[in-house]
Amino acid sequence: MIPFDYRLAPDVDGAVAAATGWGGVAFLAGGTNLVDHMKLGVAAPEVLVDISRLPLDAVEELPDGGLRIGATVRNSDLAAHPAVRRDYPVLARALLSGASGQVRNLATTGGNLLQRTRCAYFQDLSTPCNKREPGTGCSAIGGYTRQHAILGASAHCVATHPSDMAVAMAALDAQVTVLGTSGRRVIPLVELHRLPGDEPHRDTVLSPSDLITAVELPPLPEGTRSLYRKVRDRASYAFALVSVAAVLRVEDGVVRDVRIALGGVAHKPWRARRAEDVLRGSPVDGSPADEEVFRRAAEAELAGAAPLAGNGFKVPLARNTVVSALRGLSREER
Amino acid sequence: MSLTPAELTSAVSGGIGSSPQRPDGNLKVRGEFAYASDLWHEDMIWGATLRSPHPYARIVSIDLTEALQVPGVYAVLTHQDVPGQNRYGLEHKDQPVLAEEVVRYQGEPVALVGADHPETAQRAMKRIKVEYEVLTPVVDMETAADDTPLHPGGNLVRHVPVRRGDQHAEAEVVVTGRYEVGMQDQAFLGPESGLAVPDEEGGVDLYIATQWLHVDQAQVAAALGLPLEQVRLTLSGVGGAFGGREDLSMQVHACLLALHTGKPTKMVYNREESFYGHVHRHPAVLYYEHGADHTGRLVYVKARIYLDGGAYASSTGAVVANAATLGVGPYDVDNVTVDCWGVYTNNPPCGAMRGFGAVQAGFAYESQMDKLAEALGMDPVDLRIVNAMSEGSVMPTGQVIDSAAPVAQLLKLVKDKPMPPLSTVVDLRDMPGGVSNTTHGEGVVRGVGYAVGIKNICFSEGYDDYSTARVRLQVINGEPAALAHTAAAEVGQGLVTIMQQIVRTELGVERVTILPMDTSIGNGGSTSASRQTYVTGGAVKAACAAVREKLAKLAASRDLSAVDIAGTDLTGVDLAELLGDEVIDETVEWRHRATEPIDPETGQGNAHVQYGFAAHRAVVDVDVELGLVKVVELDCAQDVGKALNPQAVLGQIQGGSAQGLGLAVMEEIQTAGGKVRNPSFTDYLIPTVLDMPPMSIDVLELADPHAPYGVRGVGEPPTISSTPAIVAAIRAATGLALTRVPVRPEHITGT
Ligand SMILES: Cc1cc2nc3c(=O)[nH]c(=O)nc-3n(C[C@H](O)[C@H](O)[C@H](O)COP(=O)(O)OP(=O)(O)OC[C@H]3O[C@@H](n4cnc5c(N)ncnc54)[C@H](O)[C@@H]3O)c2cc1C
Ligand code: SF4
Repeated sequence: MIPFDYRLAPDVDGAVAAATGWGGVAFLAGGTNLVDHMKLGVAAPEVLVDISRLPLDAVEELPDGGLRIGATVRNSDLAAHPAVRRDYPVLARALLSGASGQVRNLATTGGNLLQRTRCAYFQDLSTPCNKREPGTGCSAIGGYTRQHAILGASAHCVATHPSDMAVAMAALDAQVTVLGTSGRRVIPLVELHRLPGDEPHRDTVLSPSDLITAVELPPLPEGTRSLYRKVRDRASYAFALVSVAAVLRVEDGVVRDVRIALGGVAHKPWRARRAEDVLRGSPVDGSPADEEVFRRAAEAELAGAAPLAGNGFKVPLARNTVVSALRGLSREER
Repeated sequence: MSLTPAELTSAVSGGIGSSPQRPDGNLKVRGEFAYASDLWHEDMIWGATLRSPHPYARIVSIDLTEALQVPGVYAVLTHQDVPGQNRYGLEHKDQPVLAEEVVRYQGEPVALVGADHPETAQRAMKRIKVEYEVLTPVVDMETAADDTPLHPGGNLVRHVPVRRGDQHAEAEVVVTGRYEVGMQDQAFLGPESGLAVPDEEGGVDLYIATQWLHVDQAQVAAALGLPLEQVRLTLSGVGGAFGGREDLSMQVHACLLALHTGKPTKMVYNREESFYGHVHRHPAVLYYEHGADHTGRLVYVKARIYLDGGAYASSTGAVVANAATLGVGPYDVDNVTVDCWGVYTNNPPCGAMRGFGAVQAGFAYESQMDKLAEALGMDPVDLRIVNAMSEGSVMPTGQVIDSAAPVAQLLKLVKDKPMPPLSTVVDLRDMPGGVSNTTHGEGVVRGVGYAVGIKNICFSEGYDDYSTARVRLQVINGEPAALAHTAAAEVGQGLVTIMQQIVRTELGVERVTILPMDTSIGNGGSTSASRQTYVTGGAVKAACAAVREKLAKLAASRDLSAVDIAGTDLTGVDLAELLGDEVIDETVEWRHRATEPIDPETGQGNAHVQYGFAAHRAVVDVDVELGLVKVVELDCAQDVGKALNPQAVLGQIQGGSAQGLGLAVMEEIQTAGGKVRNPSFTDYLIPTVLDMPPMSIDVLELADPHAPYGVRGVGEPPTISSTPAIVAAIRAATGLALTRVPVRPEHITGT
């Protein structure tokens, strides 16, 4: 490990102040991702600003029926929160399908959003990687790509974002509150993460001294259902090959509202707008005929997929998972 | 004078046939057991290993200057500092302690650092400058033999042909197939660790987690250029092995640093380094052709098997012989043509892992049996029973099976078990995909599959396989107490308990202390090939018999000869009174019956000591849409000869079956161009409690008259049949061919 400065953030403004003006700075929350990367040498911040004790650990029910989730709320606490379980099952399930109980007890909202890719080359210092060391090249392209992206990748990086929670939040139209050197701003979650383009070292639109303080979930209208489905190599404690967060409201046999996000397929939680467009206004009545609509929707989204040598399976798998999730939602009793 | 199981009427509790508490059990559950990674010595330093990042490269130069300047560094060593022979290996001495001109696999040790703190060692290690000229790695096992030679003499480590009967036999029904087995890791939980303590006379004591103290000692001494007596090994707490500790890891490295610096030196690998620090299961490509008549009787089996040995030989030769000689499975076949090749490549070195060659062949021949059943329109279990070998059967090597081989019975046992009910309540934990709510029961198909396997027990092919045991009997605090000493490694399997049980039964003494295992006593042989209960158990039993003979003499001299101690049992003998102040201390070297080398052209010969058999039935639910598999139930029947410790037998069967499940549906070291892409437990997946189903297990005890107490090795057979049974069940559910393990979601959903 390389020596670094450690500062305990006194308060929220102080955290941002402490982080300002440094080249290599990182906020330390649960540390479950950052500390691993520091040990591996993937991250080498000069200064660590510890935000784990800031008073950002509350989940508040908002007057409009929405929810404000503090940045340091632990994943376990969020998953167990009654309002989350009642109103946003997609989020509770996404959280519970991630990592292990031990990791979730430490992991925070902010840290989960900003966790970095699990691309094997990113974590292997002996191989070139544009995300870790800009300009060195991408070892995944032409290498082992089973886990990699099928949507929105570039010739510079084909990594995926590993978070489950973020996929659910993308489908919930979450808004991220950020405190930066020049004040507070709100970023739609779907715009927080970037596509790699020619700057794959930038995962998000944030700058290093930007502190996430909260994530807000807008209320869901009465009758909305949501769920999260994750396909992985074993029954627990594994990252998603493909996952789907789906939010659906059907009234009088017609889709009134639908929001779908895919995980494991892109550099960011992938909001499936094309699929949503196909579905919105379509008749859905729990009959076998629905399948056709769901399938068309999924295929519309995946028409632009560009699989790599090792991950062609993700295209049909993503399609099947979307169909399966929608089928599940449209038939869900309750 | 030897006791047969029927005569055992030991008066003390905790003898053989019971399941007394393990001495290490509570400690392990409470987290208080001292593993090798907990070793500590005043004033010790820490060793670290610089490893090659390349699978194949020429070392142009190594510059240690900056590393040596790091404060706190005691030594930085390269191959030039290896005083003895810079070569070691289990079968061939082909592996350098530290690389010289070339590195042949990613992770090959190049240099060592000894420093006052592990972090200092890591920091200094990063300052070592190695210039490599990267070479194109050889990675394809099927073409490796004709590729760039990686070792003098080329890339073929061993070819074993087996020829029996008519080589041109023809059959009415023929099925062929090509199968692949991925590279499995032992994934033991306690990483490699050891502590080397230099003595005043230039020798060293090494405390180490290993499977075989004496073979380590011989290799370490040769590399250090020291006589054996100056290199003393003591077994430290071992957290699992499964074959992965049969080769050296840091044994020589820690000793080199200790002798060089004069300081006790500790080395512990982290999880990632552990993946580079031990051999894995050989990946395999297997071509099979089965011919049968219309009743299902096998007419011939032909096989070509390729095993990827990776960069160094390790035990590849023996693994090749196993895959070849066991290559047709537990079936009677008159005409056999098998060729198995083990080759060098620049992939990670492969060697011993539970099942040792029989696993790879087992997946292929059992897949073939299912394919044949389908071609014949026969029930897959019936087909197996038609061909099942039995006592008196002749192996493809010409060896006659001369003890129980209840293959048909094992199959019937698993077949006749009640089926688990189709779940009506949707408990997500029972669904494919588990608690992530992936499957709601729609699109889920159930499948059932069967498999049976064969494994040789103990070391084969004429190897002088023995163990040494010392048993001491004396009166302590007015009570008779026994002490047993061997060099056989307890790696978690429960050998310590078994030895206690044997001494209790043989001597009728309840208090049995097992001394730490070390090289101050003779060789105990390897904790592998399912052999320790058989061979070291046999040695302890024999040492007890020697003690009893002494007791008889003592009785005679005391005029207590009315008591026939050697003949029957010790009930009623007051040992304390008989012994008085005498101390009886006997050491015995014990061998199982000899085996023979096999003929290099025909593979004929009595190569194996004993055969073990297990059968599995797997019931799976498959979500065909999402490619997810849930093994609902995994049942097993196995013949163990005699269950010396019934609880330990069940543990072995459960563990072996779980390891087979891992290979069936998730475990694989992913390599690309010779590089390991998933050296962590986040990326190399082993089954969790949610993946492992309940098991119903039938244990047969058909004593082998040639083995002590009739025991038959237990540890490996369940690993062999578990994998093909699960894959057969997935095939039954999906109708897919599934010719490769592990089976992953994409193999079910397609691309
Ligand atoms: C074994 C293992 C398995 C896992 N499996 C899964 C899985 O299946 N699914 C899944 O989704 N995740 C999984 N994870 C990842 C896990 O969810 C993340 O490690 C965790 O959410 C990170 O949260 P943290 O608070 O520990 O972040 P940290 O490690 O503390 O920080 C991560 C990054 O976020 C930055 N950061 C943290 N908080 C803020 C903030 N408020 N403002 C600005 N920047 C911030 C840090 O500077 C750092 O760069 C797994 C992790 C492990 C170790
Ligand atoms: S995919 Fe991205 S993270 Fe992975 S090696 Fe390429 S640039 Fe690096």
